Amino acid sequence: MTQFFQYIVVGLANGGVYATLALALVLIHRATGIVNFAQGEMGMFCTFIAWALITHHGVPYWTAFFLTLLIAFVGGAATYKVVIQPLSRTGELTVVMATIALLIILNGLAGWIWSPEVKFLRSPLFAPGDYFDIGGVIVNKQDLGVIGISLVCVAIVFVFFRFTRLGLQMRASAVGPATSRLLGIRVAMMLSIGWGLAAVLSAVSGMMAASRLELDPNFMLIILTYAFAAAVLGGIDSPVGSVVGAFIIGIGISLLSGYASSFLGTELQLPLALAVLMLVLIVRPAGLFGHVVVRRV
Amino acid sequence: MRRVVFALGVVAIGAAVLLPGAMGGSAATPGVTSKIVTIGGTFPFSGPASSYAPIPVGMQAYFSYVNAKKTNGKRGVFGRQIKFNAVDDGYNPALTVQKTKQLVEQDHVFALVGGLGTEPQEAVTAYANQQKVPQIYVSTGATEWGARDKHASHPWTIGWQPDYQAEGAIYGRYIVKNLPSAKIGIIYQNDSYGRDYIDGLSSGLGSHKSQIVSQQGFEVTDTSVTNQVIALRRAGVDTLMIFGTPTPTIRTYATMAAVGWKPQNIFLNSVSATDAFMSIAVARAGAAEVNGSISTYYTKDPANPSWSNDAGMKLYKSIMAKYAPSNARATDGLYIYGMAKAYTFVQALKAAGPNPTRAGLMKAVLNMNDKSNPFLLPGVVTKTGKTDFFPISQQQLIRFNNGSWSPMGQITDTRPRG
Amino acid sequence: MQPFGANRILWRVLALAAVPLLVVFLPKAFNDYFNYRLAFVGIYFIAIVGLNVLTGYNGQISLGHGAFMAIGAYTTAILNVNYGVGVYWTIPIAGILTGAFGFLFGFPALRLSGVYLALATFGLATSIPLVAKRFEGFTGGGQGKTIALPSSPIGGLSTNEWLSYLTWAVAGLMFGLAWFLLRGSLGRAFRAVRDAPIAAVSSGVSLARYKTLAFGIAAAYAGVAGALLAIAIAFVNPDTFPVSLSILLLTGAVVGGLGSLEGMLFGAVFIQFAPGWADHLSKHLHYNEATVQSTVFYGLILLAVLFLMPTGAAGLFHQLGSALKRLREWLYSRADSRATA
Repeated sequence: MTQFFQYIVVGLANGGVYATLALALVLIHRATGIVNFAQGEMGMFCTFIAWALITHHGVPYWTAFFLTLLIAFVGGAATYKVVIQPLSRTGELTVVMATIALLIILNGLAGWIWSPEVKFLRSPLFAPGDYFDIGGVIVNKQDLGVIGISLVCVAIVFVFFRFTRLGLQMRASAVGPATSRLLGIRVAMMLSIGWGLAAVLSAVSGMMAASRLELDPNFMLIILTYAFAAAVLGGIDSPVGSVVGAFIIGIGISLLSGYASSFLGTELQLPLALAVLMLVLIVRPAGLFGHVVVRRV
Repeated sequence: MRRVVFALGVVAIGAAVLLPGAMGGSAATPGVTSKIVTIGGTFPFSGPASSYAPIPVGMQAYFSYVNAKKTNGKRGVFGRQIKFNAVDDGYNPALTVQKTKQLVEQDHVFALVGGLGTEPQEAVTAYANQQKVPQIYVSTGATEWGARDKHASHPWTIGWQPDYQAEGAIYGRYIVKNLPSAKIGIIYQNDSYGRDYIDGLSSGLGSHKSQIVSQQGFEVTDTSVTNQVIALRRAGVDTLMIFGTPTPTIRTYATMAAVGWKPQNIFLNSVSATDAFMSIAVARAGAAEVNGSISTYYTKDPANPSWSNDAGMKLYKSIMAKYAPSNARATDGLYIYGMAKAYTFVQALKAAGPNPTRAGLMKAVLNMNDKSNPFLLPGVVTKTGKTDFFPISQQQLIRFNNGSWSPMGQITDTRPRG
Repeated sequence: MQPFGANRILWRVLALAAVPLLVVFLPKAFNDYFNYRLAFVGIYFIAIVGLNVLTGYNGQISLGHGAFMAIGAYTTAILNVNYGVGVYWTIPIAGILTGAFGFLFGFPALRLSGVYLALATFGLATSIPLVAKRFEGFTGGGQGKTIALPSSPIGGLSTNEWLSYLTWAVAGLMFGLAWFLLRGSLGRAFRAVRDAPIAAVSSGVSLARYKTLAFGIAAAYAGVAGALLAIAIAFVNPDTFPVSLSILLLTGAVVGGLGSLEGMLFGAVFIQFAPGWADHLSKHLHYNEATVQSTVFYGLILLAVLFLMPTGAAGLFHQLGSALKRLREWLYSRADSRATA
């Protein structure tokens, strides 16, 4: 039984890393209706900025952390203005392709500026061996921190959209841009802010991931895969859904690797998880928390 | 008007496509003119294996040094400059094939040197041998590159570094001799790389193979090895073998520290044991977790200050300072690996004489007995012969403590007998 | 007035006839290796024509096209290496087998659309290489399978020329097949499903049948392309079909212009040659080629192409064509008015 709980704990910790990026994907999709494939790379790039601030310029961790978030916000909003908005008239697939181009550019740029060698971003809070032992189940304090931060993020996003005026304006801009303009909402600015916030979330995701994985230009690519799956599983427009989806995927894969690895082998864990995901989507095509659009004729 | 438009498009394509142009010498021996020897190789500058990109950079730095240095009044090798076309294949065999064909058929390279990756190089072995182009000193330790039957069917292909099975066997024999009652656990990358190591370990252990109590595999795409580590601990492992590329190796150390486990003995594969990776492992897992780890090496360690007064190390550092890009970290062992390999190639090229041919180069490569490589450990010989197709077969067991590796015992020779 | 209808067909035929001429004569201006590059253009062309049927004509997004190429390639490798089937016979078999697989995949995909379908196809692209790795006895696992090196059965043709002509002959056939299929009721049904599914259903167009059929056709094309790829490279393994291949194929389809079969020619040329352009740009700016700088330039080139040609090359040509047509009409109307004056 301890084994079972251990797998759950490991899965939750992994899920926490995917959750924040999944949240960013949901934010972008709610704002502009597309999946931003460059989301992971934006997070990676910001993490490199944080690393450079700390390592090359001696900035203390938390200062660098918040400075990076600021840079992320500006960068995200600028990306929307410069790249996405001009293309948004031309069709969804063109915009998606533009995000793919951004992915390629950011990936190469990070290697160019800081070299592709593996680096280390130290976590500020806990030493490596800091953990609780709860009845034989090891719960690492750092992992708890990661889970905690993702829960805080989703709470902030939820409250922001539900209870603040700005959040309401953003939701309106996404759902009915023409009407919103008539009501005096500056839609383009709302969308830029949406992209900025999403970039902030991906920066948080990147910095958390860097404390558990190793920092190199490719490290967020696999996280993006899981985050994409989590966001879709939860319902691509639901922030809460994406975080729940992330934890489900994290736990699911952990259980698979723990119990089924002997006959499944390591190769089939991801395919199996994705197959299960597809089954879930077939049963609930809009994801767990998504809304099915019913069109009456 | 559509015709006009289409024609414009064709012209545009043609113009764009003309940019690459056609290069290559039309000398009697491809790739060799009176002034230049052109060689090439495919490397993962992008993609999942891009952390190995320092290897061709190290090679290029050495070639630049040789090109500038005068021997008998002439620069380069017999007055020829070495032109090294290192191209990107992103570790994708489809690209490896295309780029290799491009090197051979468009750039007319004299030889393919140092190509990286087991499967990528496998994909082009048949082609290189069909075209009778030397495919030498491939950057992979898969044992097949030196195996006798493989050499018989692919005489133009050869590896360079000590192979993974030999390294695994060294660990196995060490355990039999010094840790006779060890409970061995293996955490391994689930591909030919990891499995070559396991095969070597098993052969080194011999009848003690039964001491392996747990084997836990992982895929390179996995984001966590926690379950594997916990399973190993639960099996009572006190001697852990880590057979994976650098990133999962670091992750394994970090995970062990995170769950508060330190097996008495840890062996890690040499590829992941360079200074760059060890320092990250220490930062993430704490020195206590990493100290005492055992591995092997065969090149001099640029991160270890005890080599600072060594002539070969000084040469390495001066070449890196002068000819490598400014953001290259000279303490990364991958650069000296590349440089040592480039040294071996230049020796072979010299032995091929002032009018080298491809066949002549292969003859030199397959009949080498070189003790002079300044970048390899003293006593390591680059040697090949009629039945010996492993140029380097000697390794030194090393132990990690407080930030650096120190040698344990004598250099071990795993050269095949006969 | 000009009989534009007849002229348009004539020009299209002429333009398409230029392709075989280019395939045969362009390499003579460079070198034999250029044939090999053209063979790859042909392979990509076949694959993205299929993708265009699915995504452009039928509106179903697919991020998993590379997985279908993998299935086709492995079919060729396994049939040839394990069962001794001649490689060229495996091409149609690979097409049919992969088409069947795509058709079957279309069924669960029926319930999904947009981003959900994108994820499902992305999952396919991620999973197929891993599945291939798992069933080692059959597929050779991570080590893959080595096929005999290609050689030209026609004397006087080099291996590279043979591969190029073979690929383009198959490409011509497949293109003609696609054009024929799409111009009739099948094409109309596909477009109906894409543009107005509810209206389509009300008119009796079965969504299920046409959506799965589109997947099947697209997969079959990718399977044929994959088989040709296996023959050209003489090696298959999981690393040969990473997720980036699916992204590359989608890039080709978008750059070529979704909804235009001829546009795919430009898409295929782009994805084969653009990395080389990036390398040269990089060298021109005094960086090494084959490094991260080159990757950045490739991304910038792609972005520039998207900005300049948002509806793809085909869209650009349409616009140029319309502009020239308007110019011609204006000239004629000036001539007319002068004549009557």
